[in-house]
Amino acid sequence: MFTYSLLAGLLFGLYFSLIGLGLNLVFGVMRIVNLAHGDFLMLGAFLAFWLFTLFALNPVPAIAIAFLAFAIVGLPLYYLLVPRLLRAKDPEMLSFILFFGLSQVIEAVTTIAFGTSERSIPGDQLGHAVAVVAGFFAGHKVDTGPVELLGQTFPASWVASGVASGCAVLLVYLYLYRTRLGYLTRAVMDNREEAIATGINVHRVSAVAFGIGLGLAAAAGVFAPFMLGSITPAMGAEVTVTSFAVIVIGSLGNPLGTVLGGIVYGISYVFMQSYYSSWANLLPYVLLIAILLVRPSGLLGRRVRRA
Amino acid sequence: MTRLAILAALLASLTTAAVRAADAPAEIKLGTLYASSGRFASISMPVHDGLKLWIDQKNADGGVYVKAFNKKIPLKLIAYDDQSNTATAATLYNQLITQDKVDVLIADSGSVLTSIAVPIARDHKMLLIDQTGTGANFFTPDNPYIALMADPVSSVWPKPLADFLTHDGPGLGIKRVAMLYATNDFTGTQANTVRKLIKESNSGVEIVFDEGVPTETSNYTVLLNNIRASNPDAVLHLGYASNDIAFLRNVQDSGIKFKFLFCIYPGVETELLEKNLGRKALDYVFTYVTSSGMAYKNEFGMSLKEYKDAWQKKYADSKVEFGFNSIAGYTTGLVLEKALSVATSLDQLELRKAIFSLSGNLKTLDGTFELDANGGQIGEFTPVGQFVPGEGDHLKLLTLWPHDLASGKPVYPRP
Repeated sequence: MFTYSLLAGLLFGLYFSLIGLGLNLVFGVMRIVNLAHGDFLMLGAFLAFWLFTLFALNPVPAIAIAFLAFAIVGLPLYYLLVPRLLRAKDPEMLSFILFFGLSQVIEAVTTIAFGTSERSIPGDQLGHAVAVVAGFFAGHKVDTGPVELLGQTFPASWVASGVASGCAVLLVYLYLYRTRLGYLTRAVMDNREEAIATGINVHRVSAVAFGIGLGLAAAAGVFAPFMLGSITPAMGAEVTVTSFAVIVIGSLGNPLGTVLGGIVYGISYVFMQSYYSSWANLLPYVLLIAILLVRPSGLLGRRVRRA
Repeated sequence: MTRLAILAALLASLTTAAVRAADAPAEIKLGTLYASSGRFASISMPVHDGLKLWIDQKNADGGVYVKAFNKKIPLKLIAYDDQSNTATAATLYNQLITQDKVDVLIADSGSVLTSIAVPIARDHKMLLIDQTGTGANFFTPDNPYIALMADPVSSVWPKPLADFLTHDGPGLGIKRVAMLYATNDFTGTQANTVRKLIKESNSGVEIVFDEGVPTETSNYTVLLNNIRASNPDAVLHLGYASNDIAFLRNVQDSGIKFKFLFCIYPGVETELLEKNLGRKALDYVFTYVTSSGMAYKNEFGMSLKEYKDAWQKKYADSKVEFGFNSIAGYTTGLVLEKALSVATSLDQLELRKAIFSLSGNLKTLDGTFELDANGGQIGEFTPVGQFVPGEGDHLKLLTLWPHDLASGKPVYPRP
């Protein structure tokens, strides 16, 4: 039970890293809290659901479609909302209000459009994709069922989301540390005023980061029907709270700290569910309070401030 | 002289009736809440839509007959969206009573959003028309201001299940039972009842896994692994629709085979679960047989088929699935209609008396309407059934317990 819980926590945590990654990138670059983050995840989930329902499209290509679609949506949305927000006296606090409002609007519109009922994508859809990839590497046909990992069996969707999360983290890392735009993004994250003084087009850099943030949320949403049971227009708020806890644990403003935050959250959650199941949902709040009291800058806090 | 007396009495009664009709309100105000979003939306909206369908039908017919005024009076629905939020619900229930001054207070669906209304209604001495809030602790001897319309009390729900396990279970080879439940009034009460009845049965059946999880739980993979480790002969999962969807999908994805799997909602909201999980995930799953799966012979209102047709016509966009909850909202309306037709005033305790006068005498789509002394619904009940593959690509729900209603034999172990 211990080994299973540990591995399950790791996989589950990787998924929560993916969920929190976009939120932290947006906070790191713009110092604003996107309280509609979970709602963009929900929209990504609905996009995957409709792509599957209408065109029988497997969720794997839907990840790329969701990412690109929402990254593109993010650019004009940034220019519509964020520059005005940043001109305010206290943009961080105002962002709470603005994005909370946006969250409510998104949820209401989605409810009107799709209704309130739960929606899902059949569980074996990700299993097919995992089997194809595993079969490619194994050189023979692989079963579409659960996947064995270090002697323990897990749903294929967990492994798929773990792999996708790992890839997303790697791509964000490459973007931040191996591309010119990434260097500029880190410069803005480090000190926005200095970045402006050195002639960096801060709004362009921020708009791209905002788009990537939304794209990552939508990509995480594609896995939501598999990892979170089903999807509804109302799921966003809960996801936002959890992802907020994840990024605070890892470190606010440090996208890569989100990985650590996600894994700590995932493992703690699964152990809690195994041994004190009734209390499991308290965990995000308990961890949030504990981190704020003991290490307010998060587990990787120091690196952020001096990046 | 006798003729004169009769004429005088007739005139007096006609005058009284005319005065009563003249005093009649222009409309009967029904106040309720619904959740268009949030965790309970999927159980709230079907109930609300069912109630609205009844109201629209009655208003199209000139209203409902109200004995207190001896005439038909149109119904006015005052409904607010609590968004599944208990704090919002508390404010809105107060608003319905104190600001809107509704004649009839109807709770939102489900135990969580009803639990808020119970003390508020009682404090304001308003009768709470409880649609589907089944928590057993709502119904106490010191609270006359509640009556459960369309759903048995949570402690009544699992009795057939516990009876089936303790009577037929040992013969099938069921000795070890694992129970996982969501910790809310609805399923928590059911878990307590199952635990108690199994323990008291001395049937040799024992509970080897007994865990509660928060209602918000959306992933059961690790818990399933823990349940498997307890080596059960039967697994009971007691949760809401979203819990059942997540649970059954995790069972499917993890490849774990349980010999006996019971969930509440496959029989309650069959369309919703089939849409989410696919038919195969429900094959051989044990569940409750509710009014959507068993056509009770009703003496009042539309038949199940007529009602389903009316529902599908009115809600053709299919954003809200037809199921047990949609029948519950309509049933609430029918009971109210009957009560208004016998109540001599709109006084809350008179309404209660009128509703209680129907107890045991009214057959609805949910079965026999019968209340215990505290207002809990005990006439309707939930037989145990099992889904088996039917003709073509359809599921068939067999009734297994009680034996006098049985339409088939259990398939155990689950293939």
